[in-house]
Amino acid sequence: MTEPRVPQSRPQGWRSWVQESALYRSIIRSPAHDSPRGRAQRAFGNVFLHVYPVRVPRALLRFRSTWRLGFISTVLFTILLITGVYLMFFYTPAVSMAYGDMQLLRSQVGFGQLIRNVHRWGAHLMVLAVVFHLVRVFIDGAYKAPRQFNWVIGVGLLVVTLAYSFTGYLLPWDQLAYWAVTVGSDLVQYAPGVGGWMRNFLLGGSTIGQSALLRFYVIHVAVLTGAFFLLMAVHLWRLRKDGLAVGDVAPLAHDVTERADDHEAITVAAETWLPDGRRVLGVVETDEGPGHARAPEDEVFAWPHLIIRHQVVALAACALVLALGVAFEAPLRELANPNVTPEPSKAPWYFVGLQELLAHFDPLVAGVLAPGVLIAALVALPYIDRNPSRRPQDRKVALIVFWSLFIALAVLTVIGALFRGPGWGFVLPWEHLYFEP
Amino acid sequence: MSPTRRELLEAGWKVGSGLLVAAAGWTTFEALKPLADVSGGGVLPLLPPDAYPEGSATFVREGRFFVTRAKDELFAISQKCPHLGCAVPFCEASGRFECPCHGSVYNAAGEWISGPAPRGMDRYPVQIVDGRVTVNTMVLEQGAPLGSRLYDTPARGGSCAPADEA
Repeated sequence: MTEPRVPQSRPQGWRSWVQESALYRSIIRSPAHDSPRGRAQRAFGNVFLHVYPVRVPRALLRFRSTWRLGFISTVLFTILLITGVYLMFFYTPAVSMAYGDMQLLRSQVGFGQLIRNVHRWGAHLMVLAVVFHLVRVFIDGAYKAPRQFNWVIGVGLLVVTLAYSFTGYLLPWDQLAYWAVTVGSDLVQYAPGVGGWMRNFLLGGSTIGQSALLRFYVIHVAVLTGAFFLLMAVHLWRLRKDGLAVGDVAPLAHDVTERADDHEAITVAAETWLPDGRRVLGVVETDEGPGHARAPEDEVFAWPHLIIRHQVVALAACALVLALGVAFEAPLRELANPNVTPEPSKAPWYFVGLQELLAHFDPLVAGVLAPGVLIAALVALPYIDRNPSRRPQDRKVALIVFWSLFIALAVLTVIGALFRGPGWGFVLPWEHLYFEP
Repeated sequence: MSPTRRELLEAGWKVGSGLLVAAAGWTTFEALKPLADVSGGGVLPLLPPDAYPEGSATFVREGRFFVTRAKDELFAISQKCPHLGCAVPFCEASGRFECPCHGSVYNAAGEWISGPAPRGMDRYPVQIVDGRVTVNTMVLEQGAPLGSRLYDTPARGGSCAPADEA
């Protein structure tokens, strides 16, 4: 099996004149692409592309190998970063100004409303993409050794993503923002002992007011962004060091045992004298590393095969959020009014499952223990599930537990988002839809 | 045994780094901890008691509470739902407080009737000073525990939440 063909043409005319000039060559050391060395150079000779390995498993080229969900999350984050910086030019985190700035953005700033729409829909889509990324990684068993720690980092990124959404939710300072955050932050109060104090620390006071708005703003634009980049750096670094699960031959239980036996044999050898009287002073263990089972013909160069696919996915993601931004306005209700709670008052959709749970259970259970235990279980998952096999038929229990929880959460979310009306009463969505994203 | 110079230095930089982290944490905490709540409230003189008849609930915007009368006793009931902090409106139809967020229902004295709330609505102490109802909003009294319903009267009509019919 050879490398898939990439049509190459030498630059002609003025292009060749530009590309061969000393100035151009000083900036871009463009190698010849028609040799393996040249293609490798493309990935590791470029500060941005060297995030990619030079060669990737051929299986990764199939869209359905990963559904490109991690990459899509990164693209959406980039869109949110750019639109977010744009919004910062027109937003003042002050109770007296924030809502007016939202209206100004709509009426006075060129494309202001579109940028806000894209930021809003991009944020919703990013929560979806991150959750589906987690689901995909779980189904593929990609969190198993040696990738346990990267799963933990991934859960951290999920928490940061949700925190981004929650803090961003307050900033427009309308009724939707004010009451969703009131409900959300009062949940913290039920944490035993430190709850009330933690809530006041988060809000910078006992009520949602100026200091809460400023705190949420700083956390949203600075603290979480710092945390996100830090975690993302580790996430990608570990991805490179631990190797991709895709294309790695899924180890079966007996393979792992065999390898452990080999290791034991080598360790024993290191401590024994050979029959001819020489002593073994040390054994260099062959570190097979990630993807050891992969033959060279199962790999392709990241440039151009994977990178061109990523480009297409990135363009599609941009087109989708832009289309959503053009088609649907981001909601803006009346100015926040601490005296009037709108009916119904719903949390953002990704927390509405929790709110539904709150209608049935004690707030300590539904608001603190349930999400706390869920996050803790996600973090501990790769250390609890020691089953080395990644084949679905070997991990029925894990899959059943995971899907049960996922479906339960999805059902709660759908009921809370679509089937609940004023006073949290049951309403059929085709009779009246009380859902504002 | 006394430590060698190497051990001492090794311990030294660890202790030093630890102190630095602790100092950073303390500084951050001191800087970010909420300022003492300045909105501590005050003593609000209101109308004479006759202005608050049985079955009515008068909202006092300055203190965000309702003045109600139940079984001939006056109450100043904080508008904030003890469940998750939503502003609870008074439902004229039923004569009860009905929270729009999670459907908790309280009677005119703020006592819990149904819903997920952990207690009745919180109250401020009421006094009659110089013939006027006076409410001290500096003291917030925790609402009555679940099941304590000393001032209950039957609902005078249907609920304001259309949900009950569905």
